[in-house]
Amino acid sequence: MSDNRLLVPVSDTETLRQTVEYAVQTAVGTEADTPATVRFVYLNPARANQRAEATRRTAEKLLDRVAVWAREDAGERELVVETIHLGADRYIFSPADVANALVTEARGQNRRRVVLDPEYDPGIGAMLVQPLEGKLAGVEGIGVETAPVERQTRRTPVFELTTLGEIGTLFGISFVFYQVLAGNVTWLAANPVEWADKIYWLDIVTGTISATVAAVALSQVTLSTAPTRRSVGRVLRGLVYLPYLLVEIVKTNILVAAVILNPQIPVEPRLTRVRPALWGGLPMAVLANSITLTPGTLSVRITGRSLLVHTLVPRAREGLVDGGLERAVRFVFYGRGAMRMPSLRERGEADPVPADHVRPVDEQSGDDGNGTDTAGSNDTDGGEGR
Amino acid sequence: MIETVRTGGIVLLVLAGLFFTLVSTTGVLRLPDVYSRAHTASQADTLGAGLTLAGVALALGWGTTTVKTVLLLVFVFATNPTAAHAISRAAHEEGIEPWTADDDRTDEELYEAARARVPDGGQSGGNTTTADEPGEQEETG
Repeated sequence: MSDNRLLVPVSDTETLRQTVEYAVQTAVGTEADTPATVRFVYLNPARANQRAEATRRTAEKLLDRVAVWAREDAGERELVVETIHLGADRYIFSPADVANALVTEARGQNRRRVVLDPEYDPGIGAMLVQPLEGKLAGVEGIGVETAPVERQTRRTPVFELTTLGEIGTLFGISFVFYQVLAGNVTWLAANPVEWADKIYWLDIVTGTISATVAAVALSQVTLSTAPTRRSVGRVLRGLVYLPYLLVEIVKTNILVAAVILNPQIPVEPRLTRVRPALWGGLPMAVLANSITLTPGTLSVRITGRSLLVHTLVPRAREGLVDGGLERAVRFVFYGRGAMRMPSLRERGEADPVPADHVRPVDEQSGDDGNGTDTAGSNDTDGGEGR
Repeated sequence: MIETVRTGGIVLLVLAGLFFTLVSTTGVLRLPDVYSRAHTASQADTLGAGLTLAGVALALGWGTTTVKTVLLLVFVFATNPTAAHAISRAAHEEGIEPWTADDDRTDEELYEAARARVPDGGQSGGNTTTADEPGEQEETG
């Protein structure tokens, strides 16, 4: 390979310094007609959308530092250093999304070599270089290499302070769930006085063991951040949201039942694209699931912030663009103040989509709303608490 | 007296649940295309199963089994939209057009039209988005 133009995704890791050095040495050490170029890419983590300003500053600082290092390593030799902050305008959820973003960037800039930091972590939760490398290696015309770095002994201790919070929370949830299934909770409620005689101590012991195993093994998967006071508020507001959702479900069920049973009422299905004012995987997943739970509206596809909804009858369509559910989900995630806002229709964030427009070209290429449902459940930032 | 009210409540809830299950079945048969049918298929889960399980909970009275019934309902409510969304998303990915009021094609014809539009005759139509990337590459590179 005599290509001396490299693409290097960067994140704040201990091995970043060595990766930069390796990339620069590779670039300037390769004989080619083009000037040696290293393009450093910072990918916006999915959860950063609400803290855009802070993320931008983090990205700038990191990229500045990387650029200084690269010039230092190049010394007298000629090297073009480019830096770019990507993904502030879209969601990056999975290794596949990261790979897509990198491939798009590599193609756009005509780069054929990607150098990976072995500890690269774009902040999407459980991220390993291995799957990313596999995804990129499958793409024709792009070579991937992992920078050979000398690593210290594993940097992450088994228990960090933050993970202790996650493990504790998950332990609590699992333990209570176990006791509910075992029947101890109902015993306790029925016999609050003589509980010490009635309770099954065996269940307490086995429950503790099971919950510990579940919490230690799965805390990284289930919770992305340790719960804060904000997530407690979210869970409580979620409990307020549930009855509201139930009432909506009953109302729309009756509406749709009337449409189905009465041939006089015509069925007029239509696709509508809405752009709710929600940021992040979990709020979008909650809204999309609520829309699907209410008959008459059905989430078909999520691309970034825009949600493609199939509606059965005009009444259901009006309900959707009036934004009742959107407001309720905003209430759950952002508090009561966030509810006061114009409806989707008034904001112009709802457009009808013609039926033959099922496969818009711009939607299929590059950033796709890939696996949004599952990504949402990975991001259980204290969601429904189950 | 209380017992009569309770029995009546159970019967009412189960009947209402059955009613919505019936409506849902009718809808699956009557509605024009895959998207519309996905709407009504989820009705059987939400109110059909919901009301029936509420009747079960009432019949069992306060106890661990009732709590489990409620948990059952919670999981049905969590999984039902996921399934409906998966179906409609798969249909959308296949390029199936939703039926509209001024469209005189049947469900099967809409499906055939989508298959005809795929260049390879729908042989590898079910590509997921992750598999799209190498596939796209084969054409361009």
